Amino acid sequence: MARRIGLIDYGSMGNIESIRRALSAAGGEVVIIRDAGGFAGVDKYVLPGVGAFHEAMDEIRRKGLEAPIRDAARSKPTLGICLGMQMLASVGHEYGETPGFDLIDGEVRRMQCKAAVPHIGFNRVQVIGDSPLFRGLGEEAEFYFMHSYEFVNYTDVCGLSTYGQHRFVSAVARGNLFGVQFHPEKSREHGIRLLKNFIEL
Amino acid sequence: MRLIAKLDVKPPHVVKPVHFEGLRKMGMPADLARKYYAQGADEIFYIDIVASLYRREILFDGIEATAREIFVPFAVGGGVRSIEDMSRLFHSGADKVVINTHALQDDPGLIDKAARTFGAQSVVINVEAKRWDGWWECYSDCGRERSGKNVLDWVREAEQRGAGELLIQSVDHDGRQDGFDVELIRQVKNAVSIPVVAASGAGNLDHVVALAREARPDAIALASLLHYDKYDIAAVKQKLNDLELRSK
Repeated sequence: MARRIGLIDYGSMGNIESIRRALSAAGGEVVIIRDAGGFAGVDKYVLPGVGAFHEAMDEIRRKGLEAPIRDAARSKPTLGICLGMQMLASVGHEYGETPGFDLIDGEVRRMQCKAAVPHIGFNRVQVIGDSPLFRGLGEEAEFYFMHSYEFVNYTDVCGLSTYGQHRFVSAVARGNLFGVQFHPEKSREHGIRLLKNFIEL
Repeated sequence: MRLIAKLDVKPPHVVKPVHFEGLRKMGMPADLARKYYAQGADEIFYIDIVASLYRREILFDGIEATAREIFVPFAVGGGVRSIEDMSRLFHSGADKVVINTHALQDDPGLIDKAARTFGAQSVVINVEAKRWDGWWECYSDCGRERSGKNVLDWVREAEQRGAGELLIQSVDHDGRQDGFDVELIRQVKNAVSIPVVAASGAGNLDHVVALAREARPDAIALASLLHYDKYDIAAVKQKLNDLELRSK
């Protein structure tokens, strides 16, 4: 089983520790990747993200990690979490316009809805299609969201959620590339199950 | 409506201040966090209530130990003065940082910097409100220092500067278990559009229901109610569910 997970730590703004613990709890063997030399020898990648779009992309570019991350995401199963999912998009609009990795079409825009933003709390995900990521997780499963921006995408949607009467994309998938808007590492046993599904792909 | 377990910590113990003073030891933060996680807490807040007061560094060991076994969001505050402090907190397992004293008394710009660096959703502003005749004043340092700032003005300013969430505590009600300052929460809720976490005063389920019904906060933080084992979180959730007060 391909359990060696490369967790990409690109700077000050990641909640790396939470994700490392959750991946371990899900049965992963976690390797922290901090520079371009660290990408070899793992089976899958996780791109985390707590922070603002442009700060995170700046940090990634400053550290020379943009090309290695893009190559990694094209070569092996990769999971982007929250901002890590949003950065897979073509462009982000948080504090100005910033190009993303452009691995999944779409842009990241501020949520427009009839409830308090940021969207914080547990919420359901309607799984679109038959995604291995959500195997064993029924429609009742709740995941923890904490975000002000959303990934606007029409082509690679694998999960939709509703907040303040607004439907938004809560998970994307294109081939071996996955992104979830919620935080599986903060979503109790359901989140651990999702990470386990990813590890066991 | 989220239900949050709030740990007020005077390292190494969780304490329960009565009226923000007269501390009583309640247990170790890691043990209580695990217990409330198992009960179904949606989040855990960890506030070092003496760090700012003593002007000392944040103590990270207790924070790391507390974060270790809880797979729900973990917000940490107390003595946060810089972006570096916040980075270390995130690396210690925090998902959100809670800021009060430094932003309120010295440098409101800290909120802007924090939001730009970590994203608005990671920045919680802690408000300690003291009720006066017709208005509330922001306090800091565990209800000891005045600021002269009107709570409603300050929460609007905090929102404008990029805060993602507000923790509203009441200096008058905290630890007394005689009900929330519902009017305070209602007015703060009307003043801003970011999520509001209401704290201070839950002594029984009726207090929680009254708050949920009349002020509609986005989350409720519980401390004494849980520490004294009066109710567990599952029971509070059930009560709010029965009354259909938890739905979004």
